[in-house]
Amino acid sequence: MKATDSLYRRLITWLLLPLLGLGALMLMQAYRSAHDAADRAFDRLLEAASLAIAEQVKWQDEQLWLDLPPAALEMLATDAEERVFYALYDNHGRFITGNADLPALPGGDDSLRFADTRWHDMTLRVGVRPARLDSWSQRERFEVRVAHTREGRDQLTWSLFTGSASRIALMALLAIAVVLLAIRIALAPLTRLRRAIRHRDPRTLAPLDLPLPRELAELRETLNELLARMRRVRANQERFIGDASHQLRTPLAGLSARAELALRQPEPAAWRSALETIQASSARTARLAVQLLSLTRLNNPEAAPAPSTLDLVAVARDATRDAFAACHRAGIALELDAPDTAIPLAGIDWQLEEALNNLIDNARRYGARHVTVRVQADPPRLQVEDDGPGIPAERRLLMLRPFHRGAETGDGSGLGLAIVDSIARGHGARLTLDDGRHGQGLCVTMTFQGDRA
Amino acid sequence: MSLVAVLLATVLLTLSPLEAALAQSRLDYPARAGGPGEPLVINGALDTPLIAPLLEDFHHRNPDLALRYNNLTTLAIYRDFLDDDVTPRPDVVLSSAMPWQYRLANDGHAQPLASEAARRWPAWARWRHELFAFTFEPVVIVYRRELAERFGAVTSHADLVDLLTGHRRALRGRVVTYDPATSGAGYTYAIEEARLSPRYWELVNALGGVDTVLAGTTRDMLEGLADGRYLIGYNLLGSYARDFVREHPELEIAVPDDYALVTQRLAFIPRDAPHPMAARRFLDYLLGEAGQRAISELTTLGAIHPALDGPGTANALRQRLGDALRPIRIGPGLLATLDRLKREALLTRWTREFQRGTIAADTRDETSP
Repeated sequence: MKATDSLYRRLITWLLLPLLGLGALMLMQAYRSAHDAADRAFDRLLEAASLAIAEQVKWQDEQLWLDLPPAALEMLATDAEERVFYALYDNHGRFITGNADLPALPGGDDSLRFADTRWHDMTLRVGVRPARLDSWSQRERFEVRVAHTREGRDQLTWSLFTGSASRIALMALLAIAVVLLAIRIALAPLTRLRRAIRHRDPRTLAPLDLPLPRELAELRETLNELLARMRRVRANQERFIGDASHQLRTPLAGLSARAELALRQPEPAAWRSALETIQASSARTARLAVQLLSLTRLNNPEAAPAPSTLDLVAVARDATRDAFAACHRAGIALELDAPDTAIPLAGIDWQLEEALNNLIDNARRYGARHVTVRVQADPPRLQVEDDGPGIPAERRLLMLRPFHRGAETGDGSGLGLAIVDSIARGHGARLTLDDGRHGQGLCVTMTFQGDRA
Repeated sequence: MSLVAVLLATVLLTLSPLEAALAQSRLDYPARAGGPGEPLVINGALDTPLIAPLLEDFHHRNPDLALRYNNLTTLAIYRDFLDDDVTPRPDVVLSSAMPWQYRLANDGHAQPLASEAARRWPAWARWRHELFAFTFEPVVIVYRRELAERFGAVTSHADLVDLLTGHRRALRGRVVTYDPATSGAGYTYAIEEARLSPRYWELVNALGGVDTVLAGTTRDMLEGLADGRYLIGYNLLGSYARDFVREHPELEIAVPDDYALVTQRLAFIPRDAPHPMAARRFLDYLLGEAGQRAISELTTLGAIHPALDGPGTANALRQRLGDALRPIRIGPGLLATLDRLKREALLTRWTREFQRGTIAADTRDETSP
């Protein structure tokens, strides 16, 4: 967004530009109409003068005869002292008398005609009056042409034009003032909203409530929805932090109590047993901390790594291999059921491996004897099935929340399925918990949205 | 244009041949202060003795300018102006033939003068800041003192008509006026008077009744009056008459007090003037207070400048005659004067009225004794 881009400026530009264009059009129109009005007024002079001359034309000595009235010429010159021209032509267009050879004007037969013409570097307004002598013996057509220069017309045009131009300018000023005022009034709620947001306590997520026009009210509602979501997220975070500190405090308190008890006993054998317990407990606590860390990392949308193309089969094979040793020690059969061909997918390989590890680990901790990691193509799917105690269907959704343990007796942290859920969401995959085969155990399935690579 | 030239030839042929013959045809004033070699060329229809004091005064004030004045007839001025082959082109054109000067300006041959003097010039004595009247010359009646002693003074057109009709026999052949058919000035006055006064034709009739002699120039008429050939002359150019009467005390000038035509000399700077700057200086001088004062004091042409009111100025004449003075309007009406058919119509009527007076007088003479 450019620094100069502003709503105010846009409104002003898009309102004032057309307004100015309109003003220019009106000025042009005003000039045209002033010009036409001046021509109409002054053409009356040409009309009167040509009539005065035509009335003096008679037939005498076998030719057209004119006793030119000087007043007819005088009336063609106004205060502007125009140059004046006249001429009389017979029906063959022959020049009879006059002080200039004026051009004929094309047009109707008997109507008075006016036109601007160039004549010897001057612009002349010419009026042509066709007329006819009607005597007993003679019917003779003739044409009186009169002309004058345009000074008087130009002066009148200019004075009419400046008159209307000043009225147009006044109207334009008023319109501009009204537009500016209207924009200011229309944009005032925006300023109010901005002030309301700026003056808020940065820690509060309370919804905005100030009266706004409809368009801005929508914006306010959207903002309020965002704020509500943020409130929910913050509540979740606070609960998570509370749960996490509670989870960490319990083993730490246990460690502290065990160490204190051991210190009261004098024999080293008791110390040794205490140290072993402490070692096992701190290992569990450390794992809990690691899981908390990874869950936090997974839930941070700003730290999401870019997905790359990976092979789902390879991911499953790596995860199985990593978990094999631990399972073997615990006497658990770990089996991989995957096709031979690669299944390409866009994703983050270490996250998927982490999810599989968590699922295998969960199965191991909760007493499964047989764990199967299954990979299927079309749609791409990762599945971990065990023959352990399983989870009742009504509690499965709860299991996805952090610190919600399936069995109170297990030594799990309660974060495993929450982490898997986060990873599945990060990959846009659907996580489903079902009964295992033969109605016992648990089958966890991540179904991906297909080949997105 | 050739049509117009031919027409003008007939109009102006005998406007002032005698005056031209008497005066020098050219005046030259070299630059004294080492100015440019090319002179400012002024074409004028104004006898050299009348214009010389003005030119000397101007030259005295502007010694850096060389001046050349060509004295031509009004027709020659017009014809030469329209003939592009005639060189050198004039920088200033002065002429008393108002219609022709007006026509040249109307056709766009004059350039506007935007100086202070031109702006202040009275509107009635200019046209468009292009054409300027710089003199004020009433058209007058000149008579011999013995006429006034016998029949009383003549101070108006009505007096003149009464005189001509009342003393037909005594005045037969002793009255002189312009021939409108051969003199451009006479024709201009006739057309203007016909517009001004409905009784003009009565006067023409009366002039015919005494077999008025028709002359071509004011100088012819003045000399005839001085000789005693004529008793009274009608429609003489006042500026020439004043000059002449000064040396002929037996003559008297009357400016009619009912109406008196006033003719004016018109000046303009041609659009193609070779030395427009110098031409503007000359015109500024003519229209300025200094030049106008020179006109009123050194010549009999009559100054127009509104600030001057001594003898020989329009203001002085106005105070004496008031509304009776009728300067010929500098406007498109002058174009009608040049119309071929208009001229034929007016001359036809003029001749008819004049001859009707002659015939009526003849029949009366035959029956009365």
